[in-house]
Amino acid sequence: MAKRQRTAVTPESQLPLAPATFQILLALVDRERHGYAIMKEITTRTDGAVQLGPGTLYGALKRLLESGLVEKGSERADPELGDDRRRYYKLTKLGLRVARLEARRLDAMVRAARQKKLIGMAPA
Amino acid sequence: MTAERVYRLLLRAYPRSFRSEFGGEMMLLFRDEYRSRNSVALGFWITMVCDVARSATSMWLEELSARAKDYTRIVEVIMKLAGILAVLLGVYGVVNAFAEAVPGMRGTLGGAYIVALVLGIVAAALLLTAGAALLRSPVSGRHTAIIASLASLVTVVIARLLHPWMSILALVVGIGFPIVLFVALQWPNRSGPSASRAV
Repeated sequence: MAKRQRTAVTPESQLPLAPATFQILLALVDRERHGYAIMKEITTRTDGAVQLGPGTLYGALKRLLESGLVEKGSERADPELGDDRRRYYKLTKLGLRVARLEARRLDAMVRAARQKKLIGMAPA
Repeated sequence: MTAERVYRLLLRAYPRSFRSEFGGEMMLLFRDEYRSRNSVALGFWITMVCDVARSATSMWLEELSARAKDYTRIVEVIMKLAGILAVLLGVYGVVNAFAEAVPGMRGTLGGAYIVALVLGIVAAALLLTAGAALLRSPVSGRHTAIIASLASLVTVVIARLLHPWMSILALVVGIGFPIVLFVALQWPNRSGPSASRAV
């Protein structure tokens, strides 16, 4: 059986994440989704500020699958989109830990920015 | 030409392996996105083309990087095979030299003949050393194998010039194989770095 050999992947070794990668992980935190649902969730959550094209999305998903942060789920139709069978993707335990660490990292940066009064104060 | 056909053509920009794994899903996603828009402006197509250009370049770079790693593995396998062949031919050289020595013992032995036989055995032993070095480590053993194969070549030529005792096959093996091995050992040195630079 040809199984891809992985070197020991620690959550810390995956940081920092590319913005698109973190967006995908965030989209998968609450439930598994197929490609189009991931894309829509990101667009809706960011009010259209982040829009991933199919190539960017699946390129990032390929890397996430290879690094073990995301895994393939079942293939089934989405009742809202018709009869076509779609591949669903879900977070692995490692993926969840990495997403959590990245969120903490970003949170620390935002707190530092707030302390320096870069944000969180009325505009002059 | 429909929009889906145009996008299917754009998908050809991606490496085959990526296309076969995600091409169908990307096509589906494109169709969903295309249908969700009431009107498709030029901006939509510009976004799609830019997305393909950016991500296909990135995928090709990853593909080439993976191929460079595969290339290194192939070279290592070739070196191992060359090592096995060198060991076998080294053993053949030693046996051949002894086989030649036995009938030679019955006649009058000249000094040059004995030296030529000893050199023949030394050449075969050097070939064995080259093979063993490659089998131990195709990477670090390459330098030893190059020196050993060159030394073997020189020794065989001297042995042949001292006394014409070798058969045609022994000559082809004794002279031809070290040359082939030397060239093969030089080859990865020249093409290796350029392959990684391309990535």
